[in-house]
Amino acid sequence: MHRVNDGHAPFLPGASSPIARLVEAFHRLPGIGPKSAQRLAYHILRAPEAEAQELADALVEVKRSIVFCAQCQNLTSRTPCDICSDGSRDHHSICVVEEPLDVLAIERTGGFGGVYHVLHGVISPADGVGPEDLKIGELLARLRDVETEVSEIIVATNPNLEGEATAMYLARLLRPLGIRVTRLARGLPAGADLEYADDVTLSRALEFRQEVQ
Amino acid sequence: MPGRVPRVVRTPAIVLRHRRLGEADRIVTLLTPGRGKIDVIAKGVLRARSRMAGHLEPLTLVEVVLAHGRSMDVVTQAQTIDAFPAAHDDLDRLSAAMYLLELADRITVEHADAEGLHDLLHVALVRLARGDGQQVVTRTFELALLDATGFRPELTACLRCSMPVAAEAAWWAPAEGGVMCASCARAHQDAQPIDATALRVLRAFQTQTYEEAGRIRLTDELAARMEQAMHALMRAVVERDLKSAQFVSAARRARVAGEGIEAAIDAARDTAGDDEE
Ligand SMILES: [Zn+2]
Repeated sequence: MHRVNDGHAPFLPGASSPIARLVEAFHRLPGIGPKSAQRLAYHILRAPEAEAQELADALVEVKRSIVFCAQCQNLTSRTPCDICSDGSRDHHSICVVEEPLDVLAIERTGGFGGVYHVLHGVISPADGVGPEDLKIGELLARLRDVETEVSEIIVATNPNLEGEATAMYLARLLRPLGIRVTRLARGLPAGADLEYADDVTLSRALEFRQEVQ
Repeated sequence: MPGRVPRVVRTPAIVLRHRRLGEADRIVTLLTPGRGKIDVIAKGVLRARSRMAGHLEPLTLVEVVLAHGRSMDVVTQAQTIDAFPAAHDDLDRLSAAMYLLELADRITVEHADAEGLHDLLHVALVRLARGDGQQVVTRTFELALLDATGFRPELTACLRCSMPVAAEAAWWAPAEGGVMCASCARAHQDAQPIDATALRVLRAFQTQTYEEAGRIRLTDELAARMEQAMHALMRAVVERDLKSAQFVSAARRARVAGEGIEAAIDAARDTAGDDEE
């Protein structure tokens, strides 16, 4: 068996060996550096075969059974998804987010009773992503075709350059439809320190200040 | 000690872009006055309590303190000098700013002698943020950038036969870097006729001062033609598609009520069709 070195050099015993393939596959995952990839691969090598099989099955199963919800484009095992088919939710209000994980984050707050639309990304020219690469056309088609009148679109993209550009582009596209488009307020995160806040965040926090209750 | 890299450097810089590095760090691409374009490591900026994160966003003029690192320098302090807040308030200005950043990034090689590029970009961003016309700011930046990098386009004489070309009879050859006369252009697949007024205004932008250029009135249609010609030229110079240029055009099209909606729905239908194949 190959010995895994835990030094600094990447562990690649022959570019086409099964281990190298596994390390490479882990390395392609977000947030996994070469060393973590080696560690994960080594863990799999030492684990019982059943555990490896379980992981392999789960990977294949998720790719086979998870689809895009035809309405909100979120990842789901059935379409329309649980949120879209929930009659008790407010279907007049759509919250637009970048990623499926953002839906979970907003659901956790329990403060939003409407439905969602997942863009699966954000306009980011530096990364080669334009509006045509996102689920924007699907949102517009949904607004045009759906029977329920939508009264508000809440754009909940991240408060950075790409998120702002995406929000403003959506607002401009939607203007002719006469739907109210809002954007999440931008302010200081909990635990922040005024002294170190950047200028844009601080000025937005001032602009959207609220009465002390 | 002479000849040795100082361990700590303080410099102004414009943040061009960043990319994730591992769990909490980022590689930030900076355009500096003294060292041109450099990649630096910003540690811990993806953590919620990072003190530097907000200061190292693209489209920020920042003062950074860099510690000399093994492969890349490491940011130890970052303080915003100008975040160009007014450039964030309007989609046309914001998309134009993203285009300027991408151009500055793509046209420069890391550590290459980029003297003057930082100042060119800074001046253009200041002009955008104070509300100058997006067209005049962008076009004069493109032309100045091409001058500074040795790609000055030829707008008056034919690139083939060197004879002066009248604006009415000019053809646009982006891959060659300027205009051609009608007879030379015939042998050239890449050349296309260019609107005479658009070319005249580009000539004026290339030779006049910024203040004079700013006094030229541009209709939306004329601006769109100039934009198309210059985007094609810049694409040829950097030898790749400029996604931000496409976004500038998409933002302008979306201003025409309804047009953007139909285009976006068509684009979605096209990708859905690809999936089925
Ligand atoms: Zn759904």
